Amino acid sequence: MNFTFLIKILIIPLLILLVTVFVISASNTKGVSFAYITNQGENTVSVVNLNDLIVEKRIDVGDSPLGIAIIDSKGLAIIGNVGSQNLSIVDLKNNEVIETIPIGTAPLGLTPHPSGEKVFITSWFKNQVIILSTKDFSISEAFNVGATPSGIAFNKKYNFIIIACRDENLVEIYDAADYSLQKKIKVGNHPYGISTSDNFIWVANVYDDTVSIINIENWEKKVIKVGLHPYNVISHIDKAYVTNAQGDNISVIDLITFKEINKIKTGETPENISVDKINDTLIVTNWGSDSITIIDLKTQELITQIKTGLQSRSFGQFIYTK
Amino acid sequence: MKKLLSFITAILFSVSVFAHGPTPQKVQESVTVNVSIEKAWALVKDFGAIDKWHPAVKDIKIEKRGEDTYRILTLESGGKLKEKFRSIDDDLKKIKWEITKGKVPFTDFNAYIIVKKGANANESIIQWTARFYRTYKLNPPIPEGQDDATAKAAVQGIVDNGIAGLKKTLESK
Repeated sequence: MNFTFLIKILIIPLLILLVTVFVISASNTKGVSFAYITNQGENTVSVVNLNDLIVEKRIDVGDSPLGIAIIDSKGLAIIGNVGSQNLSIVDLKNNEVIETIPIGTAPLGLTPHPSGEKVFITSWFKNQVIILSTKDFSISEAFNVGATPSGIAFNKKYNFIIIACRDENLVEIYDAADYSLQKKIKVGNHPYGISTSDNFIWVANVYDDTVSIINIENWEKKVIKVGLHPYNVISHIDKAYVTNAQGDNISVIDLITFKEINKIKTGETPENISVDKINDTLIVTNWGSDSITIIDLKTQELITQIKTGLQSRSFGQFIYTK
Repeated sequence: MKKLLSFITAILFSVSVFAHGPTPQKVQESVTVNVSIEKAWALVKDFGAIDKWHPAVKDIKIEKRGEDTYRILTLESGGKLKEKFRSIDDDLKKIKWEITKGKVPFTDFNAYIIVKKGANANESIIQWTARFYRTYKLNPPIPEGQDDATAKAAVQGIVDNGIAGLKKTLESK
């Protein structure tokens, strides 16, 4: 019995076994992703199963739902209804509204605290950020900000709450510990959607057809030309993705060169965008065609479009993984 | 005609501001036209031909500024509208434009028209979609004439008259 033979009969089967176990456990932990789509024209939220690509349910919510925050740790979605000026709290286990919370103002953007204990909400009419407690669903606190606060994002690394003040062409940065203003940064014309990665802030300047990138470490700014009427922007790994609402496409920005490297067609009037990490796709809401567009992140190509409801929007991170 | 007159009145007496409320309004109307998709698209895609089919448009002037194309519309009411050409997609048969200037009771008006195949070769469907906001952006009470309903009624008038005019013009050729 020589050594090579030993390898063949012992080591190789062992390797095969190991690989098999690894593959099975990987597929078992894969999970299922769902997109929660606010349909502003019909006062509903569509629940789309992103593994099977089917709409599983439509949930009735308040009047003119726009913003959304998903609280993974609590299995909740918070829906902002700008018409009825309240929040619909959706239990993601059975996809039912369990509470409706009046807030006396139009909720625009929503973003959760990383702990899941609070949700920060921009109040369009009051020029405030109001804070929802997810323990008892009370509006526990609020602080004043600039005019027409729109997009909102939470930076975990710096513990910052970051907002876009649309009519002031400003990004404002607040310390989440005491809600004190840390910085005001001039950006382009009509900033709306905003997001953040560890060291960067991304904001879509609607009227300039640009995206501003702010480096939090040194407050340096870059401006990148994108498509027509950019509405929202997110970054994921080595790229950023921008919805061009009047271009009916998204811009793909390379984060090494900070240049637009591709445009991908969507439905009509694409507004918001989230990443489905389970299926490695981008999900885009189309206000004009009442649908979502699903794009393969690897090939950067369209997979399919799914009809959702009238005026699909979902302003905020709208993917939930079970 | 009544609708047209009320639209013209709205144009004359309203003030345009640039800020708006949080909810974009949508008007979307379709009409089936008894001509081929090619024939319908040929008329729809011509940005400088709206005076040939929209009953509210009396006269048109095309203006080029750099790479941008504008049309200045003189309305039957005497009012003026300036519109900017956005894009044409020949595959989807879609033309997009926006209003950049004009005394209208709405703001941030963007629109597109798509021509689709009908039930047979001599039939097509024209769909016009408009996105816009009311002119008043603050909390209620909303001043008269600056609310969602006023904005929507004015755009509904433009779109209804527009697709009716397209059908009439295309089918009379």
